[in-house]
Amino acid sequence: MSVRFVTREIGSLGKPPWRVKSFAGRPLEESDLEEARRWGRELQVDGHEELVEKLEQGSADLTEIDDWAARYAIALLERTGLDVVYDGEQRRTEMYDHVAAHARGFEPRGTVRSFDNKYYAKAAVVAEPSVDAPQDVDELRFVQEHTDRPVKVPLTGAYTMVDWSYDEHYAREGALGGSAERRYDARLRFVRDVAGNVIAPNVHGLVEAGADWIQIDEPAATTKPDEVPLVVEGFNAAVGDVDAKKSMHICFSDYSRLWPPVLELEDCLELQLEFANRDSRELGTGDDDRPGFVDTLRLFKEFGYPGVGLGVLDIHSDFVEPAELVRDRILYAVDVLGDPGRIQVNPDCGLRTRSWDVVYEKLTNMVAGTRLAEDVLNRAHAAPATQPSAS
Amino acid sequence: MALKAFAPGIYPRSEALVQATRDLDRGRTGEQAVEEQVKRDQAELVRVQQRAGLDMLSDGLLRWQDLFRPLAEAADGLVARPLTRFLDTNTFYRAVLVEGEPRLRTPLPAPNLPAGPWLATLPSPFACSRAANGAAGAQALAANVLAPQIEAWAQAGCTFVVLAEPFLAREPAGIDELRDALAELPRPVPLALQLVFGDGGSVLEACADLPVDAIGLDFYLTSLDGVPEHFPTQLLPAVIDARTSAIEDPKEIDGFVERLLERRPAGLSLVPNGDLQFVPERIAREKLAALGRARVGLERVA
Repeated sequence: MSVRFVTREIGSLGKPPWRVKSFAGRPLEESDLEEARRWGRELQVDGHEELVEKLEQGSADLTEIDDWAARYAIALLERTGLDVVYDGEQRRTEMYDHVAAHARGFEPRGTVRSFDNKYYAKAAVVAEPSVDAPQDVDELRFVQEHTDRPVKVPLTGAYTMVDWSYDEHYAREGALGGSAERRYDARLRFVRDVAGNVIAPNVHGLVEAGADWIQIDEPAATTKPDEVPLVVEGFNAAVGDVDAKKSMHICFSDYSRLWPPVLELEDCLELQLEFANRDSRELGTGDDDRPGFVDTLRLFKEFGYPGVGLGVLDIHSDFVEPAELVRDRILYAVDVLGDPGRIQVNPDCGLRTRSWDVVYEKLTNMVAGTRLAEDVLNRAHAAPATQPSAS
Repeated sequence: MALKAFAPGIYPRSEALVQATRDLDRGRTGEQAVEEQVKRDQAELVRVQQRAGLDMLSDGLLRWQDLFRPLAEAADGLVARPLTRFLDTNTFYRAVLVEGEPRLRTPLPAPNLPAGPWLATLPSPFACSRAANGAAGAQALAANVLAPQIEAWAQAGCTFVVLAEPFLAREPAGIDELRDALAELPRPVPLALQLVFGDGGSVLEACADLPVDAIGLDFYLTSLDGVPEHFPTQLLPAVIDARTSAIEDPKEIDGFVERLLERRPAGLSLVPNGDLQFVPERIAREKLAALGRARVGLERVA
């Protein structure tokens, strides 16, 4: 059987300037309109002239603008050749706020520095979190109506919601001078409630609406190494009982902390991880050529975790990975794991910090590089005398 | 017994200063406008500390991008570059690259504060070394970078220096390296070593003979049971949690301080458990007020 990898994105794309300014109530400039024209044309978005006209006249309401942003993002991902797409999270503010603003039990608290002059908004949990209804079903239905490709729905995980929130509810009593066990118990209760009362209702609604792949995003997974079991607890409580493909995305973390707790993830198809950020840009398929992949892939091999979503694009750089570099990263992974069936291909993380021009080039090369890797593996399979050791 | 309260560390920027710095990055405003907002923020911080009745003023290090950057930029041989997560928070600092023999070129200027006692915050020498991934030794950093800075601030009227130490609680084996480094520091004013955002229980006894005048402990991560009776060095118990937005209950703090005093430490001064920049400025203001109330409570229970 020939090798065929599945290519997909992870989640967020940057928002077009005409979407950002419209929501901020700022006037559009000609360059913003030109962006809408150019991408509409290049991506062949049906009826994009209508958007441009409404933007010119200032007659588009925000719901329409969100719809158009989603259509553009879907088209962008399709045109790069990805097998699985979504809408680039165009309707979401950002991954934390999107959930906290929708759920009861959270209250915004203000701005905290991330680094230098970069900041993020943070909320506090003030009561047991809950939701009235699934949050993202309309978003999913819109995507389903505008693509024929399989879709994968990215959702922020329970543990990351907990770790990025202030706790004014679960840890309120007895925190001063208290024990580590008491603190852990408070975190566990918080994770269980977010998973069961906030994430799970959304997941069930999405699956009922036809979602067949749910990706749980947990960038905070290893922030507190002792709490990785809580990440697993949150995943299982949120998606454990649904009949759909399930995966987890983690990035910019110390992956050595994930094992063995992640072996307890229930029916998790794969871990989609960031690798390229820590890798060399030189070609090659040896250990020394692929410093960003070697240690983590050996963990996959050692522990036998079934699948890896291989991050082959650095999302923090405008460097456009040549297809040959993507190819070599995939071939190296196949070599280490010894089974191409355990590997699928994606960027390190959401590409929201890159321009659409850079995203387009990166993803196009990712798909091209994936096809190159398949060619190498399939040729080797067809000619056993030159078969690489891994295949 | 000295009974005091103060707030070392990096204070959060106001929403106005956040916006000004964002605008600066996007080319919508200039350095001058940001500097004017920094001065307004600092003046407000002074008022908040005075209203709270704190015993020493801090300038809140509002210009500091992180705990290590100003010293790295003021020293030869050090460059702040790779973005690195600060402990288990969602805030990052730039780790320090060592490109030559570290030596303070020009001491950082003293803050512009009203007349009266003021405190300064610096990273501990062990923290500096760990921020450089061990590429520079703690002892050399103490002697050549931190010591001249402490001397300069003491001459400018500083009355107390807090050395922030985030890593030792997670790496207790570093205690001897830290001890040797602290021995290199002058003590023209009292020095405190504050174990920020960490469980200091495993190193507390070993901290008793460090050449410092006070030890700070994060009692949101350190069990009170770990504090031995008659601890010989003054303690800076953290009774304000800089990592949660909940405002501390004065009764809980009073009860905690009472239990701590039963262990008869050499002295107590109340502090937050690390940089208040981990909460938004509006909340930090309330926490400083809570610290002031806790100080009043401390006098009562003592």
